[in-house]
Amino acid sequence: MLLTNALAEPPAADFLAACQRGNLEALESLYSLHSSRMKSVAFQVLRDRSDAEDAVQEAFLRIYRALGGFEGQSSLTPWMYRILLNCCHDASRKRTREAESALSAEPAISNQLPLQLAIRRALDRIHSGYRMVFWLFEAEGFRHSEIAAILEIPEGTSRKWLFEAKRELKRLLTEGRS
Amino acid sequence: MKFECKDLDRAFEVPELMSDAREHARDCPSCTNDLWVWSEISRVTSGLREEWDTPDLWPKIREQIAAEAPGSRRRSWRLPAAIAAALLVSVLGAIWYEFRPGISIKDADFLTEQTLKELEGTEAAYVKSIGKLARLATPKLEKPDSSLTAAYREKLQVIDSEIAELRASIDRNRYNTRLQTELAALYRQKQETLQEIVHREHN
Repeated sequence: MLLTNALAEPPAADFLAACQRGNLEALESLYSLHSSRMKSVAFQVLRDRSDAEDAVQEAFLRIYRALGGFEGQSSLTPWMYRILLNCCHDASRKRTREAESALSAEPAISNQLPLQLAIRRALDRIHSGYRMVFWLFEAEGFRHSEIAAILEIPEGTSRKWLFEAKRELKRLLTEGRS
Repeated sequence: MKFECKDLDRAFEVPELMSDAREHARDCPSCTNDLWVWSEISRVTSGLREEWDTPDLWPKIREQIAAEAPGSRRRSWRLPAAIAAALLVSVLGAIWYEFRPGISIKDADFLTEQTLKELEGTEAAYVKSIGKLARLATPKLEKPDSSLTAAYREKLQVIDSEIAELRASIDRNRYNTRLQTELAALYRQKQETLQEIVHREHN
């Protein structure tokens, strides 16, 4: 299910101010609005539900602590997801240090259709930058402008990487066919 | 332009060529399949999103946020608050001493030995608290440069240099109320700056 771009709209000033004051109701609304997508993005990086939940929890705390400095000049959503991805990368690095393979936890794929399974496996084989752009665009419904802000890359690069990701996936899915 | 199989990749990149690609694919099973795979990749991927319920997650986050909320920071602020209160009492005591009957203006500029000891004790507590904060802030200050980190580093350097200057003046005139008060203000400023760094998130 693609999420609507309603999430991308800038938050109302009073809502943002309430979050910045640490108003728990406002923060809960922010959580409710984003948690599902944040978990999905974190899972895509960490491939483990428990780790993804930890990353979302850590991200929310970092967001809460940093909200005071958020000036609202850019959209809140990409800013939040940038923090989330930083948390995921921190968690991933920690896991590597603890000598646990980042790929050891296979996602629950037993009930996936063959093409879904094939795409999932092909995704693991493409460049991580292409994969993240592809995932944020195709699975999470972000726009290129938002992906550019999240990953801190030019918008044109986001478009190019999406194309490269799909071309790589198509090649992997069709190789051996001919 | 006659569309050929080798043009298909270009068509994926340039949507304007897609109608020619579809036209070509009518008589080309290989390109028909490639076009199908291309569109299926997008369609199927949205079904790969992982969704699960986490009823415990928000309560955990809420608890941590509540623990960090300014109203709940009293415990961690107890020491600085006590220091500030001690400082206030000392300064008020010094002011009273300065203006009590029978003391000349010249004498009033100076602290008693007892008040001085109290202030020095306060300063030692500040230095201890700042030392702890500095240890927490160091990793953040050592992160790759951002304008904010650089600004914090610069601010701390300025405060440190002012503290050093003031300390040198106090060493020459340790009973001066004004210098002691200024020093306490600088320590407070340094402490607040370090707290900001510790609580600030780098993204």
